[in-house]
Order: sequence, then structure tokens, then C-alpha cells
Amino acid sequence: MSAMNATRINRRDFLQGVCAGLATASLLDPPLAWPQSAPDFKLDIAPLALEIAPGKIIHTFGYNGSAPGPLIRWPEGKPVRIQVANHTDIPEIVHWHGMFTPSNMDGAMEEGSPMIAPGEVFTYAFAPRPAGFRWYHTHTFAGHNLKRGQYGAQFGCFYVEPRNNPGAYDQELFLTLHDWNAYMGGGGDSTMDALYDHATVDGRMLGHGDPIRVLKGQRVLVHLLNASATVTHWIALSGHQLQVVAMDGNPVPRPAKVSAVRLAPAERIDCLIEMDRPGIWIMGETRKEIRAMGMGVIFEYANQIGKPQWMEPQPVSWDYTRFADPDPASRPPDLRIPLLFESKFKGHGDFDYWMINGKSYPHTPTIPLQKGRRYRLVMTNKSTDDHPVHLHRHTFEVTSLDGKPLSGLKKDVVVVNGKTTVEVDFTADNPGPTLFHCHQQSHMDYGFMTLFDYGA
Amino acid sequence: MLVLLALSAAPSRAQNNYEIQVYGADTVAPQSTMVELHSNFTLDGSRPLPGSPLATDGVYPTEHVEHETIEITTGINDWSELGFYIFTAEKSGQGVQWVGDHIRPRVRAPDQWHWPVGASLSMEFGYQRRIFSTDTWTLELRPIIDKQIGRWYLATNLAVDRSFHGLSVPQGVTFAPAGKVGYDFSKAVSAGLEYYGDYGELVDPDNLHNQQQQLFVVTDLNVSPAWEINFGVGVGPTAGTDHLIFKGILGRHFDWSHHRPGMSDSIQ
Repeated sequence: MSAMNATRINRRDFLQGVCAGLATASLLDPPLAWPQSAPDFKLDIAPLALEIAPGKIIHTFGYNGSAPGPLIRWPEGKPVRIQVANHTDIPEIVHWHGMFTPSNMDGAMEEGSPMIAPGEVFTYAFAPRPAGFRWYHTHTFAGHNLKRGQYGAQFGCFYVEPRNNPGAYDQELFLTLHDWNAYMGGGGDSTMDALYDHATVDGRMLGHGDPIRVLKGQRVLVHLLNASATVTHWIALSGHQLQVVAMDGNPVPRPAKVSAVRLAPAERIDCLIEMDRPGIWIMGETRKEIRAMGMGVIFEYANQIGKPQWMEPQPVSWDYTRFADPDPASRPPDLRIPLLFESKFKGHGDFDYWMINGKSYPHTPTIPLQKGRRYRLVMTNKSTDDHPVHLHRHTFEVTSLDGKPLSGLKKDVVVVNGKTTVEVDFTADNPGPTLFHCHQQSHMDYGFMTLFDYGA
Repeated sequence: MLVLLALSAAPSRAQNNYEIQVYGADTVAPQSTMVELHSNFTLDGSRPLPGSPLATDGVYPTEHVEHETIEITTGINDWSELGFYIFTAEKSGQGVQWVGDHIRPRVRAPDQWHWPVGASLSMEFGYQRRIFSTDTWTLELRPIIDKQIGRWYLATNLAVDRSFHGLSVPQGVTFAPAGKVGYDFSKAVSAGLEYYGDYGELVDPDNLHNQQQQLFVVTDLNVSPAWEINFGVGVGPTAGTDHLIFKGILGRHFDWSHHRPGMSDSIQ
């Protein structure tokens, strides 16, 4: 391939180029560590006509005919087999987000996981860990087709059951946020972005799903997932405080009560809510424009009547440090890896392209690591966009937010705000190719990716 | 977004050299206001008749006259806006003179319609003093279509005008098309060409000699979402056109929604 041609490759070209061989090879050679038994779960990827409100149909692709896909609960460390059948017209793949999977089972083509050809079936086999709130979603290229990839309905919650669950709650909920009918908009002074017609909680617009019925005095544990392809959301429950107890499935060092929580794409927050204000309340986006698009769900106390009420929460400025230890990380890293994020302008009528250290994927060089060493990613965002960056197959500890030290906050997605520097530490303890990328679909599609790699 | 440059109408028309702008299809966002200052200087334009301070048709000449127009546009909702204009003229020794005012509501195809192009319809109605214009009360309907394709920007304004008081009344509806082709050289700098015509009567156009035909080379500077800066130079080869004009627009966007970036009430 000539140098000129090489510079034109994007993620889609790269994937198409290597897809067939890897997919075929992997399908013919499933991992041998697991016996060939019946699957524990089955996922069917297929076209879906999703009715988010009466008469409002979203034509998309989903798992098992619903959005979100089925909730998977599975004990930590117990081997699981999940059979995935692709009934669509393009190769698909399922990523097990936040889990310490082997590279070939993680569900990212770039790491060597197989694509599932149209009409084919593949069985993922791994031992889910660590315990906590994880999720699964497609990891395909969408580009300018804003109906594919994470713009669609291919997402679901995966709860890895801890060995000991004190269960200090009366009711447990999994709520997923998503935006629908994306289109290219914006332009003008800025570049194009994905805009949306509708937004939902658990696939239903506000007022059109079943209410969540609660009792006064209950403690409700809510697992919130932002499964939006590109939009950061703020969620509040009218008249109630949300006690954040875990982020990205990992307990936070300092649980704290807030009036609203912020979730960037792919982030999860577990919060405990005391049901101490009887009424019929809206849990929804704090911004009325997005509530009007449908993002909300109703909490209904027993024996209460009337219309659902929205009560403005106190404005919240989101700060991870509130939930972390204020001290610097106790263990210094063995090596620092600087990562510089920059955009590449492609016109006011197109998405930006993205670069890590001056290169766009697949031209970003693979960064070699050594097993057992602790690395610090020093991520400097020169752009004005915020980036929810995700490290596959590992959990990292957030150690600095624009020069402010913190520790104890374990995550797999962290937002690097525009014009700031964020540092995270992780230990190379799960060998194999490991993908690192911005979780905004349009950013990862257009270059915001790189690979780490290390052997056993 | 940057409001795009333009000029309307033939030399005898109301907005002659006051607001030189090709409209883009977008409207100002709700809870926000755009304030723009249009500054246009005619280096080579109409001159006074011998022995008179006035030019043909009894209006002030345009040569060496500075036109300053204040345009205030506020967003009504996410598909409409309302604009208001104050036109002034300045010439050495004559001071600043009020020329007239216009009001301009505009609607556009909402984003939710998912049209492949931007589309809006502007209606502009107003008054200008007889000493500056052959027509005092005028109405303009301006359909606008635009499209951004990567680095390229295309816009067309197919305006039709009607005078209700003045010399152009017998002409009925007149046709004044305008268009723009722009290219983004970088995120901050765009440049392009703008065309402005006034063909006269819609059903019986003037001959080319009397039509207005102007071509501007323009640049837009996108230095901040809060500001718009553009300027250009235009030539008019026909007899019915001012021959050399310099123009500039300085705009400031005010957001009244009080959204704060990074806060739960922000739309960022």
C-alpha cells in the first residue's frame, strides 16, 4: 500500500481489511478452556422497531427485540457462555465493557476479537470480573451512518454479582439513558455534531413507560448507565438526594449525596435514594429541553395520586474529587505515558477527525507495556471538546484532575474536559492487546483510538 | 453560526449598500440575541448630477458614503427569529443621517424535519426616507436554501421585492437573487465569493445594462462562537451597480439562557 493510500484509511477501512480473516479464524477456533456446553445466555442481534411512545417508532437494531437488551446477572469469576447470533446485514461484535476479559473475548475487533458475520453465531466465553455494574454494547463503526453502532439499540446491563452482597437496599433498578434518531447538525462556527430527536430512559419516553412504584421509607439502589452514543446527561430525581456509592461499577471511597449526577457516554453511577418525600415525581434530565425530548421516568409512591411533578434540583458542578480520597495515589507509577488529544478540522460540514500524539487510528503506534508494571496515562486534551476516554479490559485509578491530586476512585471511563489534563494509573495485569479510545462514537470512528499491548 | 454576507436590490432599492449579506438558513437560537454592525463604504458609486447635490432619481449619491446599519436579531424558538434594522448614512460634512428601519421575521425548516438542505423564509418590511431611496415602503420575501458539505458552503437567496410607495411601484414584483460559495481553509478562516443581482421586474427583467450585478470576495473569521467577523470587497460591472464597495460585519452573540458549562443546567 502506498503512503498516500495509507493516510486515507479510517477505522472502517481498517476493520474491513482485517475482518474476514480474523473472524473466520476465531470462529473456527473457539477457546479451549471452556467445555462446549449449552450457552448460559443468548443474544440475537436483529432489526428492531422500538416504540418509545405511542406512535413514535424508532427503526434500529437491538438485542433480543428490546432496548435495552436483557439484563445479565452472573456471579463474579464463574465462567459464562453467551451465544450471539447476528441477524443483521453487517458484521457485528459485542463488547463486554468494564470486565477483565481476554483480548479475543473482549469484543473489540482492534484487539483481535472476531467479528460475527451476518447470519453467523459466535459464543463468547469468559469469567466475568470484577464485581459490579458493567454493560455490553456493539463496538462497530458507524461513521456518517447515524443509525448504526452505538446510535442504535445495541446495549444492555451486565451485573457481575459480588461474592458478598450486603444488599442494604429495598429495591434495585437498572436504568439506561439513550438518545435516538441522530442526525448531523450544528456547523457554522463549530463543526458538525450528532443531534437527536428523542431521548429515553429504558427505551421509553417520559410519561410513556411504566412508573417505578416505591414505598415511603424504602432505600432504592439505582444503577444508571449512559448508553448514549455521544451525549453527556445530567439526571435528578425531583425532591430527592442521590447518594453516589459507586462509579463505573466500583465503590467510591467517599459516598456523597448530590442533587443531580452527570454521566458521560459509557459512564455508570450507582446511587442510593431514600424514599422520604411521598408524591409522584419525575426522575429525568435536569435540562428541560432534553426532558421534553423524553428523557425521564416516573417514581410513584404508594397511595399517591396526581400528575408527575418536576422539581428543579440545586445546580451541581460535577467534580470527581468529591467522591475520591483527596490524597495522592499511595503507589507511584513505574512509567508515565503522555497522551495528547487534538482535533483535525475537516470542515464546518463534517465531523472532526481526532489524533492521539499526532496520529489518528489506525496510524497510532501500538504502545508496548510490560506485565506487572504500573503506568500513568497523562492525558492532555488540547481540544475544546470533552472526551470520555475508556480503557478496555482494565480498571484505572484516577490520580489527578488538572493538577489536583486524588486517589481511590476506580473507573474504566473518565471525562477529560476540554483544555485540561487528567492522569490515571493502571497496572498491566491482563496481557494482550488493549484498546484505549474516546467513547463518543463519532470520535472513536474518526481516529480517537490507540492500542496498548503486552505479553504474559 | 456566522450569518452570511449579502446585498439586496438594485441601486434604487431600499437596502442599497446598507445590509450586504447572503442569508444562511439557520436562525438565531431561542433565548439569545445577535447584534450586528454592518459597515459598508462605496468607493466608486453614483455621483451627483451637475449643479445638484442629488444623483439620478432624486436620491443622495452613494460615492464616498459610509453606510452603518445596526441589526438586532433575537431567537423566538428553535425555528424562528425576529430581526430589526436601523439604517444610517454618513458622508464627510453631512454627519450621520437616519435612513430608515426594517423589521424582519424569519422561519426555517426545523431540524427535526431532517431535510437534506437548510431552508428558511425571510419576510422584511420597512421604511426608508425618500432622499435615500426611490421607494419608501417596501416588502421583501426571501426564500433561503443552504448546504454545508465538508469544507464547502453553498447558499442561495431568491428574493422577490415589492414597493408600495415610490418609483418602483409600477414594476410590481421584482427579482433579486443572491448566492454564496464558501470554503473553510481552517476552523477559523473561511473565504468565498458572493453574487448579488437585481434583475428588475420578475416577469419582464431589465436589460443587462440596467441590471444590478455584483460580485464580492469575502472572508469570514470564526474566532469565537460569541463573535462574527466578516468583510469583503465587491465590484459591479454594470451601469446600474455601484462599482466598488468595501463591506464589513461585526456581530456579537448574547446568550440569555444563563447556562453554565459543566453545570447541571448547562446545555453544553
